[in-house]
Amino acid sequence: MGIALNTLLMIVVALSIPGVINRTRAILAGRKGLPFVQHIRNVRLLLRKGSVYSTTTTALFRIAPAVYLGAAIVAMLFMPVADLYPLISFEGDVICFAYTLALARVAIILAAMDTGSSFEGMGAAREALYGALIEPALMIGFATLAMFCGYTSFADIFAHEQSFNAQLTIVMFLIAYLFISIAFVESGRVPVDDPRTHLELTMIHEVMCLDYSGIDMGMIHIAGWLKTACFSMIAANAIAATCCFHWWFATPLAILLTGISIGVVESTQARNKLIRNTTFIVTISALAALIFFIGFLLQSDINI
Amino acid sequence: MFYLSSLLVLALLVGTIFIVPVRHKVWTALAFVALAAIAVAVPAIGVLAGAPTVVLASNISSMLGVGSLSIDPLAAIFLLIIAVAGVATLLYSRGYIAPYLKKKSSAHISLHYTALAVLVLSMMLVVMANGGFLFLFAWELMTIASFLLILFDAERAEVLRAALAYLIMMHVGFIFLVAGFVGLESITANTTFSSLAACFGEGKNLGVFILFLLGFGMKAGLFPMHVWLPEAHPAAPSHVSAIMSGVMIKTGVYGVLRVVSQMSDPAQIHTAGVVILGAGVVTGLWGVILAAMQNDVKRLLAYSSIENVGVIFIGLGIATLANAAGNATIMNLALCGALLHTINHSLFKSLLFFGAGNIYSQMHTTLLDRFGGVAKHMPVTAILFLLATMAICALPPLNGFVGEFMIYLGMLGSVRDGINTLYAAGGLMALALIGGIVVLAFTKLYSTVFLGSPRHHHVAESEEVDNLRIAAMAIPALGIIVIGLFPQFALLVVERVASSLGGGVGLLQTSTIMATLWKVSLTAIILIIIIALLYTIKSRAQRSRTISEGPTWGCGFTSPNIRMQYTGESFSEGLQSIATSLTQNTVEGRAVGKSEIFPSSHNYNVRHKDKIDRLLAEWWVELLRIINKRMMNLRTGRINNYILFALLFLIAIVVLSLFNII
Repeated sequence: MGIALNTLLMIVVALSIPGVINRTRAILAGRKGLPFVQHIRNVRLLLRKGSVYSTTTTALFRIAPAVYLGAAIVAMLFMPVADLYPLISFEGDVICFAYTLALARVAIILAAMDTGSSFEGMGAAREALYGALIEPALMIGFATLAMFCGYTSFADIFAHEQSFNAQLTIVMFLIAYLFISIAFVESGRVPVDDPRTHLELTMIHEVMCLDYSGIDMGMIHIAGWLKTACFSMIAANAIAATCCFHWWFATPLAILLTGISIGVVESTQARNKLIRNTTFIVTISALAALIFFIGFLLQSDINI
Repeated sequence: MFYLSSLLVLALLVGTIFIVPVRHKVWTALAFVALAAIAVAVPAIGVLAGAPTVVLASNISSMLGVGSLSIDPLAAIFLLIIAVAGVATLLYSRGYIAPYLKKKSSAHISLHYTALAVLVLSMMLVVMANGGFLFLFAWELMTIASFLLILFDAERAEVLRAALAYLIMMHVGFIFLVAGFVGLESITANTTFSSLAACFGEGKNLGVFILFLLGFGMKAGLFPMHVWLPEAHPAAPSHVSAIMSGVMIKTGVYGVLRVVSQMSDPAQIHTAGVVILGAGVVTGLWGVILAAMQNDVKRLLAYSSIENVGVIFIGLGIATLANAAGNATIMNLALCGALLHTINHSLFKSLLFFGAGNIYSQMHTTLLDRFGGVAKHMPVTAILFLLATMAICALPPLNGFVGEFMIYLGMLGSVRDGINTLYAAGGLMALALIGGIVVLAFTKLYSTVFLGSPRHHHVAESEEVDNLRIAAMAIPALGIIVIGLFPQFALLVVERVASSLGGGVGLLQTSTIMATLWKVSLTAIILIIIIALLYTIKSRAQRSRTISEGPTWGCGFTSPNIRMQYTGESFSEGLQSIATSLTQNTVEGRAVGKSEIFPSSHNYNVRHKDKIDRLLAEWWVELLRIINKRMMNLRTGRINNYILFALLFLIAIVVLSLFNII
């Protein structure tokens, strides 16, 4: 029961975040904005359409969206919603989570390169580089959680509610900030990439799926939502662990936290020049190392 | 004794390769290797299944001194790796060598196959020898055999150069090993590996460890001794690269394991652990960054081997540090991870080099930017290569993931339990970054070679290779899939080795790793089922839709051409802009300038050379040249001068012996 509810809530989070982003942007811009479920309608439309395939491509191009979505679904299955229990959980599942997402990344990079298009090659090369640079941040973030909570699986890290203390609160808020930053990079949002522009101008994520249409495109969109939901849920769990560790608190928190922060950043900031992106991403990794070190100092009770 | 004599007889009979007709040479060599493989695999499997150490021969006295051959669990696991890779390599070599049968003399072919068989046998000897002269003999035999193998295409100048560089560097490493053994003998009056325990007792003689690390590190390709790999592998035939990269460099890992496992003083183990971990991190990062920048298939694969050795050493380092801290569980976890990664790397790297051999034999080049769209012409090679690519990127559900998973678990466990937290965290960040850049390097390799449109007319003329080569490639491919899907059974094997090195306490008793791996296995199966399901649903839904085909979307540009595709060089351009200080770039020709609206034809060729290469090679060469020049002054050509030199020499000897110096 708990597991089913957990999975259901993850799906709700995944479906709601893009809606919240759109609402936030509309409110900040003083527009009426799209209906909340417009993105779901768009994808439903895509799922009903036929497809056009490039003659350059091989079978890999047709399998890749299934791998991309399948990996995203499995990654989602690791994720607990606060006190609920996820479907798959074992010691070290944080690593499995990271590498399942890497599988998704490889699938979409190879598919993009399969078309022989220079635009998609550009997107693929950037995705590969940014993905490589963000990886240490992800892992050291998990290491911080493992160090502080004493467990190496998501369910155990968050489920073993800690007694409230100041150290935990500081570290957990920093972790939440870190994972929201990672969500920005992984889902290709401003300031790393701007998904709102016409496809060719969106330099990383959307440009990689220029040749996808119909069901394939729908699957890629859904996988993107799921990935964002996972990172958002880690951040929400981290905050929930410090004050109110219940699913009815963590779920709206996950939706609003990422939704509003992405919406606000997209309304107020411009996209980085691409050359600045590497600096931006390496900074996140450096920040992650710093958070680990802060956690290390706090935990070892050093009198400063 | 029976085994030993049969091995000896085998070794002597290898010479018969020279007598048989040229078409049958490969089968003769294969027969020898297969026999040897079976002969060692049977006791090795027995040892891994729990039988006590098999002593094949003890105290063999010969002109090589006294030595023994035995199979303990550590030797057994390496024997299995050698046996499997040896057979696969010989099977593969038939198709690869076939076009050369007419071009090269019969003796040349014989020499190649003899060297191949001797390489496999000598590697077996290396892991069975208990140290001292016998070990050094086998080690040197291995070097010479591999030197002859690299030299196969000796007509090409760069092959000759690479082979000589290899020979020289291996002998520098050999000197370190000899120095290590001499040091060992002067301390304990014995040269077996087990006498290292007395040598290292109470934390003394760390220098001996450093000597061994340098000697073995040269073979393994530890930074900065890795420079021979990217030279030797592109020069050697592909199946030779496969066995050298997949197996031979692992004898370095084997040696380090042998030496480190003899230490007993915690402080000393800690120091060794820090050294190994540091070496692993630097090697791994250096290897992977350089790999991502290479524009040659085999050079890229060679750098990736360096990176994988780095990963193995990171695992060993974490295990050694945990051992120093007295945490047996984490030590065993990381050690099992490192051993598993050793096995895994031998599988996917052989497969990758075989794949590179396939495309080389069809297109006669290994330059990345000459390929493109090969998947359409060589579909089976493409699928197998993709499998190995995904495995080397450590993606679930394949074997590469499982090994790295266990190393990660060891590091996360260290961080969690608060032992060596900062070292483990450093290793963790490095491994994560390595993992990320491997994805970049191998998506670059795979997509430039197999995907997209052909960049060269050779591609259109290529076709799939013969079935025997595919069969040879299926051996490692099978291993990749089986270990990936059912890691729990691979764990049983490596755990036996790890517990034999760690002094008894087994991982299976002290941790829940078995249950974890069952769940990893389950997750892998769930992943595959979900993907298959999604694909089926998609294909079914598409049956009732209009599916059309057209050219790739050019974003409104109406005449895109093949040359506009992203090349390997442009794929890694972002990384180069960050890591430019690691390489020395040589540029031939000129790139298209920004202001050229209608560019004329340009020739642009860029190579990213390792800076360490220069450090190790050019400086020494320069030094030698200067010394040589000075020495040339002595060569006057006058007979009276030469008589004077001889007289001075005699006087010097008299004087020195008067003072008891010589």
